Amino acid sequence: VSKKRMIPTRAPLVLTQAAVNKIKALTQEQPDVLGLKIGVKTRGCNGLSYTLDYVKQKAKFDEEVLQDGVRVLIDSKAQLTLLGTEMDYEETKLESGFVFNNPNIKGTCGCGESFSL
Amino acid sequence: EVINATKLCTVGTRNKTWSQGRKAGVQRYLSTQTQEEGLPDTVQLSDSCVKQLKQLDENGCLRVIVESGGCSGFQYKFDLDATVNEDDHLFEKDGAKVVVDTDSLDFLKGCTIDFHEELIRSAFRIINNPRAEQGCSCGASFAVKL
Repeated sequence: VSKKRMIPTRAPLVLTQAAVNKIKALTQEQPDVLGLKIGVKTRGCNGLSYTLDYVKQKAKFDEEVLQDGVRVLIDSKAQLTLLGTEMDYEETKLESGFVFNNPNIKGTCGCGESFSL
Repeated sequence: EVINATKLCTVGTRNKTWSQGRKAGVQRYLSTQTQEEGLPDTVQLSDSCVKQLKQLDENGCLRVIVESGGCSGFQYKFDLDATVNEDDHLFEKDGAKVVVDTDSLDFLKGCTIDFHEELIRSAFRIINNPRAEQGCSCGASFAVKL
């Protein structure tokens, strides 16, 4: 009599409070938008870089992350690279933007925009 | 193996002379550049840059610094600064102020300072720099045109 062991599922992406607040503010401005979608594309001097867009529809293989009423979709191509990443929002006087603290990456460009796995 | 070793040697020396020649070229270029090409001695501020600087609403101005570093040789740095030093050049447009020191201005002549807003990130950036050749895709780092 063997019971199937349940492996706790980890959220593929964790949002910080700052990121939640910002995404909330961004999506409230556009009522017909479902949420934000994170993707990766080949760009930059270190191979890959993140993309962020508004989405109106969930694509077939998108991973959905719901946290505090905020919906973030992860593109199917980006799911493996983003696993376990923390998404943060940082704001200073000179620049503001989303920061991804990704435990999987091996190296980044000096500016932090592109990374390699 | 002997052949390989000699080959390596020649490659090594060639690289050395090439880098020395390049260094001299850069120096020559830097000293004669303004007379030859007559680039304007100023930087432009884009409308979005002016708007953002006014929003910051401080007495300070935006300082743009060019320093060595980054993946392409040189990189831009932005800072807020209240003091204007002796060797600084001050550019003003509709009340928005930008200061650039003399050394950095050498690399920024004719460029435009812009505030770029995107979903993922908004920040100041340098666009249309006539002195810069293809750099990093993020725009923070660049190589000087020879």
